[in-house]
Amino acid sequence: MRLTLQMLISHGRMARRMGLGPRSRIDMLRNILTGLVRHERIETTLARADEVRFYAEKLVDYAKKGDTDEKAMKMASFWLTEKDLVPKLFKVLAPRFENHSNSYTRLARIPNRQNLDRAKMAVLEYKGNPFPPLYPAKKENELTLINQLLKGYREDRAQQLDTKP
Amino acid sequence: MASRTVCRIFQRRFASAAAAQRPSLAEVRSQRNAVFSREQARQRALYPRIEKIEVSMQGPGLDGALLVMNKGMSTPLSCARHLTEHHVTNSALALVDGEPWPLHQPLTHSCSLTLLTFKDNDPTLVNEAYWRSCAALLGQVLETAFKDDYTVELLRTPEVPVLSGAFCCDVVLDPHLDSWTPSEESLRSLTRGAQQLIHQDLAWEPLEVAPSVALEAFSHSRCKQEEVEQKASQNPKGTVMLYRCGDHVLLSGGPLVARTGLCSQYEVTALHSLGQGSWGLHRRAQGLSLPLQLQAHHTVWRKLRQRAEKLVDVPGPEVAAPPSPPNSPQLPASH
Repeated sequence: MRLTLQMLISHGRMARRMGLGPRSRIDMLRNILTGLVRHERIETTLARADEVRFYAEKLVDYAKKGDTDEKAMKMASFWLTEKDLVPKLFKVLAPRFENHSNSYTRLARIPNRQNLDRAKMAVLEYKGNPFPPLYPAKKENELTLINQLLKGYREDRAQQLDTKP
Repeated sequence: MASRTVCRIFQRRFASAAAAQRPSLAEVRSQRNAVFSREQARQRALYPRIEKIEVSMQGPGLDGALLVMNKGMSTPLSCARHLTEHHVTNSALALVDGEPWPLHQPLTHSCSLTLLTFKDNDPTLVNEAYWRSCAALLGQVLETAFKDDYTVELLRTPEVPVLSGAFCCDVVLDPHLDSWTPSEESLRSLTRGAQQLIHQDLAWEPLEVAPSVALEAFSHSRCKQEEVEQKASQNPKGTVMLYRCGDHVLLSGGPLVARTGLCSQYEVTALHSLGQGSWGLHRRAQGLSLPLQLQAHHTVWRKLRQRAEKLVDVPGPEVAAPPSPPNSPQLPASH
């Protein structure tokens, strides 16, 4: 787990070890990130989702520079193994997050994998996707009994405060 | 008009003279119960053959559900029992063709049915019914709380909006108790009586009756009879609604919720005296309650409770003006 940089250094571990080596890790993360850009919401193990998250946000940061930027184009063509997604990144995702400064993704835990190895699982998604929300929308209803009582209480208090001075 | 007033005064004189040999509370209650049961049996016997009606359910996830029920026998609650337990426990009131309908009242025609809960998008109807039911419960507690030597006369229950913070029940106690001021312990014992009724989870059984039956049921109480006549003249159909909860029969101005078990937090907060009225010293009992589905944290509850202790002002022609200037300003009913 990545807590703070100092913690990681003090324990001698700079990152998770994934795959068969550094090259294999990058390839795996590339594939997952390509899937994320295509489907906008994916389900994978918690460790992989947590690792990919950093690169997914960084990729949007580069995409916001525009498709004329040389570095951005290089990054996009490296991280997206399926090249038809490159226009989507620049035309869909970059305009969507124009007003956001950071945290373009959302990570949510789901129950552990049951059939294979009981690994911790997670859902990773780009914000603003067209799917139903991960968390239930909180319903605020002014008309319920307790809210009506509290509304009366507040009005009463306001009246008391008005008359006092 | 003058002759009527004179008549009323004479009747009152007569009633107070007859109070010496007035029947005990148990007799009155059993007589009301007997009238209620007889009328209920008569209304049930109106449908000797089982006829079927079609009820189309409305609501989230229920659109298009069609239930085939028995005419004059099935209630909205039995429709809910065909659905899920959630519908049975959480519904407080039903809406039959857009009209509020008590949950225990049999359906008489093919209709569309909506089950209302406390957490609907617009629970105003349910809130009003709940407030009315809590006031009815308070009246029931007050009637049975005193010893047999003291008579308790329940007056017309004022309709209070939820925004005013407390439900009210007007009552006239025995003249011997006029100097009595209720202590905190006595309020607490009233609360305990209400909690026992809530724990028993009694149903409010509705019954729509002709005024003659209601007059017979309330033959011992002059002020109830007047209320019956007034309600019957206001109702376009000329009938009144009676409700029975346990062995307490009451008159209601509107639909009540399904059972007492829907209340969870319930407290009798105050018993104010309103001054001398036409029946004796009028007192107003006030309480606060919240349903099982919407419970409050104890800090919130304490604040609401403190507010519910203040006297609620009810605008009305019959209500005697309180002796002291009202300390709770009348809130606008904005719903």
